[in-house]
Order: sequence, then structure tokens, then C-alpha cells
Amino acid sequence: MDIRIPNLGEGAESGSVVSLFVKEGDKVAKDQTILELENEKAVAPIPSTHSGTVKKVYVKVGDKVSVGQAILSLEESGGSLTSQNIPQEILSQPAQVQRPVKSIPGIPPPASPSVRKVAGELGVDLMQVRGSEAGGRIVMADIRAYIASLKSASASERIDSEHSRSIDFSKWGPVKKTALSSLRQKIGQKMTESWTTIPHVTQFDEANITELMTLRKKVGAAYEKKGARLTLTHFVMKAVVAALKKYPQFNSSLDEGSQELVTKEYFHIGIAVDTDSGLIVPVVRDADKKSLLDLAKELDALAEKTRQRKVSLDELKGGTFTISNLGGIGGTFFTPIVNKPEVAILGVGRGVLKPVIIKNKTKEKVEVRLMLPLGLSYDHRVIDGADGARFICAIVETLENFDPKLVKL
Amino acid sequence: MTPIQTDIVVLGAGPGGYAAAFYAADLGKKVILVEQEKRLGGVCLNRGCIPSKALLHASKMVHEAEISAQRGIEFGSPKIHLDKLRAWKESILEKLGQGIATLASKRGVEVMLGRGYFEDSQTLRVETTEGQKFVKFSKAIIAVGSKPALPKAFDLGNKRIMTSTEALELEEIPKSLLIVGGGYIGMELGTVYAALGSEVVLVEAMGSILAGADPDLARPVMRYAEKNFKEVRLNAKVSKMATSGKNIKVNMEFGDKCVEEHYDRVLVSVGRTPNCYDLGLKNTKVERDDKGFIKVNSKQQTADPNIYAIGDVAGGLLLAHKASKEARIAVQVIVGEHAEFKDILIPAVVFTDPEVAWCGLTEADAKSKNIPVKVVRFAWAASGRALSTDKTDGLTKLIIDPDTERILGVGLVGSGAGELISEGVLAIEMGATALDLASAVHPHPTLSETLMEAAEVFYGHSTHTLSAKK
Repeated sequence: MDIRIPNLGEGAESGSVVSLFVKEGDKVAKDQTILELENEKAVAPIPSTHSGTVKKVYVKVGDKVSVGQAILSLEESGGSLTSQNIPQEILSQPAQVQRPVKSIPGIPPPASPSVRKVAGELGVDLMQVRGSEAGGRIVMADIRAYIASLKSASASERIDSEHSRSIDFSKWGPVKKTALSSLRQKIGQKMTESWTTIPHVTQFDEANITELMTLRKKVGAAYEKKGARLTLTHFVMKAVVAALKKYPQFNSSLDEGSQELVTKEYFHIGIAVDTDSGLIVPVVRDADKKSLLDLAKELDALAEKTRQRKVSLDELKGGTFTISNLGGIGGTFFTPIVNKPEVAILGVGRGVLKPVIIKNKTKEKVEVRLMLPLGLSYDHRVIDGADGARFICAIVETLENFDPKLVKL
Repeated sequence: MTPIQTDIVVLGAGPGGYAAAFYAADLGKKVILVEQEKRLGGVCLNRGCIPSKALLHASKMVHEAEISAQRGIEFGSPKIHLDKLRAWKESILEKLGQGIATLASKRGVEVMLGRGYFEDSQTLRVETTEGQKFVKFSKAIIAVGSKPALPKAFDLGNKRIMTSTEALELEEIPKSLLIVGGGYIGMELGTVYAALGSEVVLVEAMGSILAGADPDLARPVMRYAEKNFKEVRLNAKVSKMATSGKNIKVNMEFGDKCVEEHYDRVLVSVGRTPNCYDLGLKNTKVERDDKGFIKVNSKQQTADPNIYAIGDVAGGLLLAHKASKEARIAVQVIVGEHAEFKDILIPAVVFTDPEVAWCGLTEADAKSKNIPVKVVRFAWAASGRALSTDKTDGLTKLIIDPDTERILGVGLVGSGAGELISEGVLAIEMGATALDLASAVHPHPTLSETLMEAAEVFYGHSTHTLSAKK
């Protein structure tokens, strides 16, 4: 049987082999690591799903591999291949129209003469078409699906092709060229996809965090004694969770295929982390069930792991909402891009002291307040403008009137 | 003299040429079909497929009558009336040739009998019995075929040294016949002459007969030859031939021996050469390869934009059904349809006793190209139909891609293999899997069941054979 690349998580369909631990003739045990795959987000060990003897290794170090691709073939020591022992991820992989099932050099792709004639007339290279029938046989429907996939790809390709023309910048001065890392490329793909497929609206607001910061100062030392550094992000997480509970449509995903809104009953908050190689978003699970102390400790560890690129693929999966806090660096309002398949993201800028006009009954006075700029981007297919405003108001409300009980150790 | 205008002129009325002419006419083109022989049909009809199959059928009867004795029915030894046999064969050719002429006239295809010669890329001069005619064409399709090769060393101008052309004329039944070349022509004609009573010695330069066929498919034919020929010599080479009275003196090397022998007749069947000399190709832009075949692309186009070539003269497999397919492609391209000779399966059939047929990937191909395949076999000894017709010396095999279970090749040896192979062709062309073949009900008792059962062998549960579990 063949051991294949398992599902690696959203947005991680491929990677390159950085190390290979087995060779032909080796015996491997179930769950033994057979290779390490560097993908856009991390280096991941790929375990064998079965035990047996390695008959053939299909990949080598440096190869680019995709989910579902065979890595090696294994002669099993016992048992045989049944649908029960094929990992569920592989069975649930949707057919990828662009990749043929298997091509044998010198053997034409399996398709009837009439299908081949149509392909010839349309200029479709059958080697590129994935056949949906037994043995990878290509039927008319597969050609239609292939053409549809080409059409949807062509729009973005047109943009690409305009930019892909190389310009010789050295004509105007010295330049340095650096190949894009796979992480950079993946970020580009994800951002383009989100930006081009989601109709974005960004709602701004400011939260008065003067009291919140006083509260933080008060308890900061106690938290540090417990080994945690309490920051604004942790308060924002709590505020976001409270708002998500109130407005669950922000904690959902749109299933474009079935046209269903999938609302999640868990609250896994993704936190954008700035690493040397680029943006990575690890996920804190069940943020609603965790104390501020736990959140602080966990996020700290997770962010450190992410910066060292040791975060596991599992820790990057399953987020329901993302927070991007650039306040530590500076800047005020910005318009974050929704982290698809989530439907909303909160961008946090740097809090600044501002003169604020306070209206008290009849008197108006100016006071100095620490104001936090917030930008909430959301998927307008799922969320209406009014709800967007309600949601950001809820966050502001929580931050301005933070429940001191939540801070207690 | 005013030239005759036409859309398409087809040069040569063999299975490629007349198929092209008829198809073009069916699509509404004005077509002139030029043929230098009186009877249409080309080598296939006059000196190839058809006469050889007629003679093979006749000789099969001799063989059948012989083995019938053990079933309790005796015919006695056959009396062969060569004139009658020749006349019967001739009547078949005449009937078919007439048929083609009728089909041509009903379609409005003008048949012009005479030699064709290209004056330029738009003009063909035809030497007819009524004098020269000039045909101005938009497109020409060259389909002039091939002829048996006769190496210079063997070309003594002695009619006792024959090619397949003369052998099929059946002038006499020589007492001793040497056949040089163990390809399908040598094996088929050897079968005919052996059945008619000649002592046949066959020599082949290679280590096996029927080059191109998998060894397990060639083996039953070899067994038949070893039994019915006087001798089969492999890795043997004829070094010299000379006229010696009413005989041919032959010097031959095989093993470590050099022998000198005398034969009544010799049949040389060592390949074929294209007929494209003296066609005036030098007046066109048509190019030829180093073996003399006309160079064409996958659309059957030659280097001359007005001229197409199909069939034997365009090289590749020299088979009538390949020529007919190319005829369709050339005409489709001419009328502006999309067509290309690409990924088209050409089955091969050898009409020996037993017949051999294969299509797609052979086992030997798979090995040499390093394509991992699973080969499954079903021996005809387990077929009820084969047993009841006394044809158990047969084998059906499938070459299967183990991953996709797709059928990549089919090989058959046995009675009627040539008829059975078409199911294999259809299966491969349609991208069928072994499961498809195993799942389709085949009527009992027929030899076609062997294809289904071979597919079942792949899954380890063929009804009539025990196979290792998959």
C-alpha cells in the first residue's frame, strides 16, 4: 500500500521534503516519522500510518509534495488495505481537477476516443485532467470541470501575468534579489484569495482603556510572580470572546459549496504573530474557558514557539476569529484582511493619549484619555453593517468596563 | 490539353487510398482515385491480406480433416487441385475488387486507371490507356503502399526465388520450400505451403519468430511450426543463393554450422519497402526519411502543404487497418476538422495456426520501458469452448496497471484470436479497468469468456482457474 501525505491543515496543501528518514527495504512501525515536511508555516514530521517494509520511496529531499501524494509504498506485515485504515483526511479529500490520477510515460491518459476528440478540438491537454471514473478514466464531465477550473483561475492569472513581467530595476541603481520563501508565497496566496473572494467592510472605533490600563498596572506584579506578563492582547481576547458569544454569526464560517453558515460553539482565537519569516497565526483553544492568567501563559508560550517556527500544524488550525495587535509597534487604525474561512478579524492599533470631550449632564469638559484604535473587518456576505457596529461596540463596552473579577488571581 | 480540376486526388487504391477517396466523397468533395492496376484494392486485396487469408482458410481445412480422424471422422488424404484452389482464390479477389469499383462509382468517385506522376505541387500527370491526363488538385493524398523487399544478393531473376507476391500466385506446390524470415508473412505462408504438402524449412535471423509478439504468445505458433514444418532454424542466416539447375542452392550459417542445401523454391519475407520512387516527388516539397518512407506529421501532412501521405508509404506499422485510419485523419484534416494520429491503438494479428493477436502495451514493452504492470493469464485449456472445438492451445493475457487497474495491453494466441482482439482494443481505447472487463457478462460457451476470466484472475477469483490470491 502507499503511504500518502496526510491533510496538513487549512491553507497547507503542499510543502517540501526537508529530511527523509527511511529508505527502501527499511522496516517502519505505525506512527514512526518517515519524513519531515517544511510547509509554509512549520516543519512537520509525517508519521507512517501503517507498519511494514518500505518497498519503494517515491520522494526525495527537496521534492515539493502535496496532500494525498504517495510518499512511499509499504509492504504490510499484516492486514490489508481497507477503507477503515485509510486516514479519513484522504478519503475526504475533494477531487482536484488539475491533477491527473496517475500518468504512465508512453501511455495515453484513459479516455474514450470520443472524449479525446472533444479534448483535441478544445485544445485540452488530457494529461492535466483528473478523471473521475474507475482507473482515472476521463469522461466528458471531467473536461467540463477542468475548463471551469481554468476559467476561475484565469482571472487571477491575468493579474499575475501583468505583474509577472520582469522589470530590470538594476537599470536605475543597484538591487538585491531574494527568492520568496514558501511562507511568503503562501501568505500571498491566502491574502489574495481572502481579498478577492470576501467582500470586506472595516468598522472603526476607539475604546477608552485608561481604567483598564490602571487595572493592569495594579495586578501586573502579581501576575508576573505567577510567571505571566499580562498585556492588552489578553484583555482584548476576553472582550472578543464576550462579543462572539453575544453575536455568534461572527464565530462562523460560510460553506460556499452547500450555502450553509456553520456557526461554531467553541471559541478558538487566532493571534497574528510577527516572525522573522513572516506572519503566522497560532490558535488559542477554548479562550472562553480560560482565565486571564492561563491565556497569558499559553499565548506567551505559543507566540515564542511560533517565532522559533516550532509550532505544530495542529496549533495553527481551527481558529474561529483572529486578532491582529500591532499596538506594540505603533500606528493607529488599519484595515486587516479577514483570515478565511473565518468571517471577521479585529485589528488593534497603539493606544494614544487624547483629549476627549466628556459630557456630564449639562457640563462639557475636556479630559485626557488613553484611547485604543480598533478596526473590525468582516465578511459582508455573512454580516450586515449594523451587526458590525454592534459587535465593535460590544468590544469597546467590555474594554471600558472590564469586570475586575476576571482579573482576580 | 485542359487539365481536369478536382478537390482531392488520391494516388493508390489500396485500403488506405480507397477509404480516403470514399470518405472525402461522402463529405462532398470532388475526388479522383488514381490506380495503376486494373483491379482496385491494392496489395491488401490483390497480393496480401485477402489472398493469404483465403489460402490459410483452405489449408486450415486440410489440417482440420487430418486431426478429425481422432474424433472418429475420417476424410482420407486430401486431393489438392491447384487450378481450382487458385481460381477460387481469384474469384474472391475479383468479387471484392468489383465491389470497390461499384462503391466508387455509386459515390461519384472518378477512378482513373494509370500511373500517376507529380508534375508539381498541384498537378498530377496520369498515364492512362487513353493517353496522358493532367489532374489539377487542391490536395493530394499519396497512398501508394509498399512492396516486398528482395535483397540484391537474392535477386537472381529466378522465379523460384519468390516474395509473398509470387508465393500467393500459387504457381506450384514445391516439394521443398525454404522460407527466409520468420515474421508474420513467412509464418503465414509457411503454414499454407506446409498444409499443401511442401517440406518447409524456415530460417530466422533473430532468436525468435514473430518479432513484436510476446514470447508466450509466439510459443504455440512455434510448436505448430515445429510439428508441421520440416524444420525451424533460429539465429540462422542465409549467406548466399545461386541457381542450380531446377533448384536453388542455398548457403546458410546456423549454430556453428555452415550448410549448403538445395530447395525447389525459396520464399524471401524479410520486410517491405515503400513504393514512392518514380512518383515525381522531386517536383514537390515532399520529403522522405532515410528508408525512403514519406515523412508525415501526426496530421498525415507531408512537407508539401498540398500533399498528404497515408498507409505503408508513410511508414510506421505496415498494416491495412492503420492505412484506413490514417485515411480518415487525412481527409478530416483536409476538410478542416480536428484530427490527429495520436494515441491510436493499432492491433496486430498474425493469421497463423493458431492465430496471434495483441494490442496496446506488450509485456516486453512494459519491461523495456520500465512500466510496472501486472500480467494475468488465462490458459485456454480451461475453456469449455476451446476444449469442445479442439483448440486448447491458446492463451489470453492482460497487461494491467496495478494501481489504477486499467487495462494497458491485451495479448491472445489461439483460434480466432484475430476476432477476439477487438474487445481488447475497445477496452483499452475506452480506458476500461480489469473490473469493467470482469463485470461485463460474456456468453457461454465462447472463447470471449477467456478475456473476462483473465480479468477475474487479476482479482484472484476466476471461476475456471485457480489463481493466487491478490
